[in-house]
Amino acid sequence: MRLNHNQKSARSIFLDHGILMLGAVFLMLPILLMIASSTHTSSVISQQGLQLLPGNQAGPNYVRVARLEAGFTDQITALAMLKNSLVIATSIASLTTVLSMMAAYAIVYFKFPVAGLLFWLTMLTLLLPLESRFVTTFQVAATLGLVNTYGGMVLPALAIALGTLFFRQLFLSFPGEYLEAAKLDGAGPVRFFKDFIVPLAWRRGGAIFVVSFMIGWNQYLWPLILSTDETRYTVLRGIRLIGLESGPGMALAVLTILPPLILVILFQRYFFKALVDTKDSF
Amino acid sequence: MAQVELKQVRKTYPNGAEAIFGVDMQIDDGELIVFVGPSGCGKSTLLRMVAGLESVTSGDILIGDRLINDVSPSERDVAMVFQNYALYPHMSVRGNMSYGLKNRKMDKAEIERRITDAAKMLKIDQFLDRQPNQLSGGQRQRVAMGRAIVRNPQVFLFDEPLSNLDAKLRVQMRIEIKKLQRRMNVTSIYVTHDQTEAMTLADRLAVINEGRVEQMGAPMELYSNPRTLFVASFIGSPAINLIPVRFDGTSLLAGDISIAGFSGLPKDKDLVLGVRPDVLTVSDAGQFAISVDLVEQHGGENLIYGSLSGVSADNGDAQEMCLKASHDLLPGIDEKMKLAFNPDDAFVFEKDTGTRLI
Repeated sequence: MRLNHNQKSARSIFLDHGILMLGAVFLMLPILLMIASSTHTSSVISQQGLQLLPGNQAGPNYVRVARLEAGFTDQITALAMLKNSLVIATSIASLTTVLSMMAAYAIVYFKFPVAGLLFWLTMLTLLLPLESRFVTTFQVAATLGLVNTYGGMVLPALAIALGTLFFRQLFLSFPGEYLEAAKLDGAGPVRFFKDFIVPLAWRRGGAIFVVSFMIGWNQYLWPLILSTDETRYTVLRGIRLIGLESGPGMALAVLTILPPLILVILFQRYFFKALVDTKDSF
Repeated sequence: MAQVELKQVRKTYPNGAEAIFGVDMQIDDGELIVFVGPSGCGKSTLLRMVAGLESVTSGDILIGDRLINDVSPSERDVAMVFQNYALYPHMSVRGNMSYGLKNRKMDKAEIERRITDAAKMLKIDQFLDRQPNQLSGGQRQRVAMGRAIVRNPQVFLFDEPLSNLDAKLRVQMRIEIKKLQRRMNVTSIYVTHDQTEAMTLADRLAVINEGRVEQMGAPMELYSNPRTLFVASFIGSPAINLIPVRFDGTSLLAGDISIAGFSGLPKDKDLVLGVRPDVLTVSDAGQFAISVDLVEQHGGENLIYGSLSGVSADNGDAQEMCLKASHDLLPGIDEKMKLAFNPDDAFVFEKDTGTRLI
């Protein structure tokens, strides 16, 4: 009986891992296709579709991307576009993290009468993504003179209610005695935020930073609408510029996933902790 | 060092729930007062009102001669030890102890001196650079105390500080707290639901029930001279024996038995006779006949539990009696015993109001 049982569990382990591996391969496939295709010539890709096996055009393709000079005044280079994307995504990520931390702090610790209402209003914005309010948002941005500016690309994307929700739940899990002990120790609201909320929340806050960085990095439509100035092109627009079904296009796409990837690798410890760990580990 | 005075202090929550109904209290300089009562009686609320963590609905709280109703918690010159210690998890032991002093812009050398002194006194000097999660429960408790001591406050407030410790450590810390308080001679308020802790620590204790102080006094005074049924039943371990009785003009009647030696009691009311387990003695001429159910051997003494023949308790079960006897009295189960007591050592309460009559 016991032997049987062991055999069975060995088989089920195989099965479990088989399913997991299949899933992993399935999820990796687009990325593998992209990387492999970035080493083929544009004609191979346009005639035979995406390639799963590496070709021999890696050098020329990546050099082409690096030397790219496009646009009316040749101001669109890969480096300039990467810089634009980085500035926008980093601004969105850091401002979102800070703002949602502050909003959650206000909602949780200042028991003002409309706090609950404000919180649910914030949550309501989850139902209204930026794409659904382009026209009005553009009008506002235009009125404020934000067209073709970083500010215009960053500000409308800041209202990521997810961050507020996340920090609210985190703060609610802190024992109330922290605040009470701090009060007796002479800490006012600003000091409590600086000395307690920030140090206790910044690790978990890393997850919100990563998520909002991705949201910022992956923005396509809004920067497209808001910017006509070539110096403000983001790298995602660059792919279109260089040609979607081309070797260099694929090479640029590969470069495009690098910054978020590096960020995820750097933050993954905190990231998984925030998502998985429900125990008090702060 | 200061006196603390509560004058007609009341607490009503915004939803109308009343927690504290007019408490008057005078706490002397250097005194250790224990608030004791069942959970939900308002003892913690009262402490938190002194700390400034709960607002005062009406009445006055004075520390020294200063009215502190509207003074912020940090400016009341009180330090508090919390039940779960509330150590700051991201700061070292040193950081925990110095935080309140730094916020008060105290001189660095002075902070260091105070931390060194307190750490030595509490034997935590080798842990100063550890984080709270690297400490055991007892060590955390000490750090929490240290954080209060370095503040050098006029009043210490303890909110059930020992309830998260295991039994042995609790007794040990209890003794240390008492010694420390003696040595520092700081006015202290200590909240607990544990009557043993209350009895052993307090200079005076306040028994609180449903938002009112039922009785306040020295531990032995409350033990031997309780003013109400509640105080009698709450103070003392093992608990006092309470037997429902009526008075017929000459004796107390409990079921089939009649107990002589009482006079001047009302005849038309339900009464309760209270007899402490340690005033009962074994005697053939005893008033109570019990049949032994259980003997608990505590080493130095035995607690003998039995059912009282001929009397049923309010819930219909046989009336339980407890006798505290020396360790060599070891009756068998179901053995019959006769227990005697001197009526002068017993209390009689009015059942409905809980007032003590004798």
